[in-house]
Amino acid sequence: MSISRTAKTVAVLAAGAALVATSGCGGSSGSGSGSKTTVTWSTWGNPEELARFKAFEKDFGKRHPDINLKLQAVPSYSDYHAKLLTQLSSKTAPDVFYIGDDFAGKFVSAGVLAPLNDKMAAPDSKAKPEDFFDGLYGGAKKDGQIYGIPNDANPEVLWYDKQTLKDAGITDDPAALNAQGKWTMATFLEMNRKLKAADKAGSVFYNWYGSTYSMINGFGGKVYDGGKFVGNTDPKSREALKTLADGYQDKTFLVADLLPEGNGSDVQFIKHKVGFAAGGRWMIDTVKKGQQDNYDIVPFPSQTGVLMPQTVGTSFLAMNKDTKKAQAAWTFMSEFVSKDGQLLRLKGGGNAVPSVKGADSVVMEGYPAHAQTFIDTRDGGFANYPEEAGVPALTADINEHLLKLWTGKIGFDQAMNELGSLVSAKLH
Amino acid sequence: MTTSTLSRTTDTRRPTTEETSERRRSLRGRRRRERWWAALFLGPQLAFLLLFTLIPLGFAVVLAFMKWDGLGEKSWVGFDNFQTQLSDPTFRDAVLNTLTLGLITVPVGLALALLIAMALNNVRGKTFYRVVYFLPVVTSSVAVAVIWQMLLASGDLGMLNNTVHDWFGITLPDWLNDPDWVMVAIAAVTIWSSLGLNVVIFLAGLQSIPAHLTEVARIDGAGPLRIFRHVTLPLLSPTIFFSFVVAVISSFQAFDQIYVLVDPDHNEGARTIVYQVYDLGFKKFEFGASSAAALLLTLMTIVVTLVQFRAQKRFVHYES
Repeated sequence: MSISRTAKTVAVLAAGAALVATSGCGGSSGSGSGSKTTVTWSTWGNPEELARFKAFEKDFGKRHPDINLKLQAVPSYSDYHAKLLTQLSSKTAPDVFYIGDDFAGKFVSAGVLAPLNDKMAAPDSKAKPEDFFDGLYGGAKKDGQIYGIPNDANPEVLWYDKQTLKDAGITDDPAALNAQGKWTMATFLEMNRKLKAADKAGSVFYNWYGSTYSMINGFGGKVYDGGKFVGNTDPKSREALKTLADGYQDKTFLVADLLPEGNGSDVQFIKHKVGFAAGGRWMIDTVKKGQQDNYDIVPFPSQTGVLMPQTVGTSFLAMNKDTKKAQAAWTFMSEFVSKDGQLLRLKGGGNAVPSVKGADSVVMEGYPAHAQTFIDTRDGGFANYPEEAGVPALTADINEHLLKLWTGKIGFDQAMNELGSLVSAKLH
Repeated sequence: MTTSTLSRTTDTRRPTTEETSERRRSLRGRRRRERWWAALFLGPQLAFLLLFTLIPLGFAVVLAFMKWDGLGEKSWVGFDNFQTQLSDPTFRDAVLNTLTLGLITVPVGLALALLIAMALNNVRGKTFYRVVYFLPVVTSSVAVAVIWQMLLASGDLGMLNNTVHDWFGITLPDWLNDPDWVMVAIAAVTIWSSLGLNVVIFLAGLQSIPAHLTEVARIDGAGPLRIFRHVTLPLLSPTIFFSFVVAVISSFQAFDQIYVLVDPDHNEGARTIVYQVYDLGFKKFEFGASSAAALLLTLMTIVVTLVQFRAQKRFVHYES
């Protein structure tokens, strides 16, 4: 063989190897090992949450030895969606995946999710459409078709510190007032004023749509009306936002996102520096670090004292439209969101409230005293507005813009005008 | 000289047409073989370069003129993405922050590295110090950022602030959350982690300066400062220029330490251009705007580098 021919052969082989190596980068999700079907699924979560998922996988494996589950976990919520989007674009997404409520509408509109109505309605289905609270489908339901099933729910309530309220001279118990139908916005704001006067912060909220929209609803305002954003024009919504802005600026309210690492909202709340902290069931672990009987929960207040619809944080489990293992994938996802699946995942101080009917026993495990508030809030609550959930990152943009108002970087009127423009531009 | 050599050198006969065409064939064959060998060695690299750099780069350039959310239809928007970015205060802040970071890290980092390299130049056990200074360079930037986060945090976790407060009663700024101080903290971490590389490069540059030149200057009565200014600095200027160009480009591309160390979404003082590119693309799914911001950064880098190359003619001394 001449040198030229050797070189030719080696060059062709090398180029081939390079192509094989590069084409390997875009491989699809794993196939079965042996006779097993491997279903890949992905989610975000902290180590404790992932441990619960692993426990579910182990339990599932005993019932379905023919299905092998392969979890792709991403710690950060925002990084998770960036990765999922990239995987969907490149047709390498898992068979089943979590979707945050603020991204659901986007993925539904993009047509990358498998429709689930038929599967859910099948006689042997373990996840019937009516098993789940209708208000929780949010952006995962479009024109009557379900594309994502709520994994669980996180109704946001107000945790309060009895000791701090007492130190500020507040003698009324918010949960007792709520039971009497007297838990009004005026009472809540008055308590916040007293806390501020006692050199404490009134309330700490995360800068997300949950707290902001619950406050707007509490003032009797509207965020969307007939598909149009009115959060910046509706008089009562403006009053709510102005109250929040003034409160953040005079430190009656704190933005949890802006508190320093190591001295965040959890620490402030446990150290009796703030009276109310907005949060979900996930805060149980936090308050148990303090004197747990010192803490209880109450819904966001309303103008009249009657419980009004509040935002409920949700996430959905969806199936990849392009999955080649639809049957095995459905077996997994229907059991994951089923009553038994949620009982397994949420029992023993789990971080959420079931989204499925008949599993509320995990919430009523004895803590906090008014745990029923979680269930009441979920039952009348709603996931993020479909209009907003349909536009990727619109919620994040609104939060980012409002943060400028909360921190006093822009005036109220300017903030409202710019908010209107921002949402209009994104919605159209 | 041997007989055969003599016969070759004295052979002045003109080659026949057949010999000429044979030589040409042989030359063509050799060139062809060389081309194949070149293809053999360059092919795989070029394939990777094409697949992972040139095609994505071209795609990014095209995307910069489009609106695309990553899944839906792409639509042509011309220069809208560039106009939006250039008129966006967030992008302008990101440019300013990036320049501020460069203005702190480049001069301070290089000066510090030069000082350390000069101190190490005549020290015994140079290799040991070189390794010590180089360690941060080979350490994961994420791990570095996490450690610095623990050092610079406020509240109960902040080791630096708590120590200074306990020992001296001085309250230091909230480095990672105060927009006025966050860039100083990022610059400190950046300088610390890149110092070793510059020290090693400067040390190599210093060691390549012929000893007799400094010796002659010393015999002529020049002091250390004069030797440094008139001998060392001019001869080291190509190395300094190289490090300067690399440091400026690196400062423009700062991202990972910022991403781990602080949250630029809640601290606008920490938002750099690359973070803006990441935020637009992978958090807001505005890939067109993200590509436009990336292209603007590329243009900025090219312009600044060209200016540096123009300026080097006046300041950099190359030995002929």
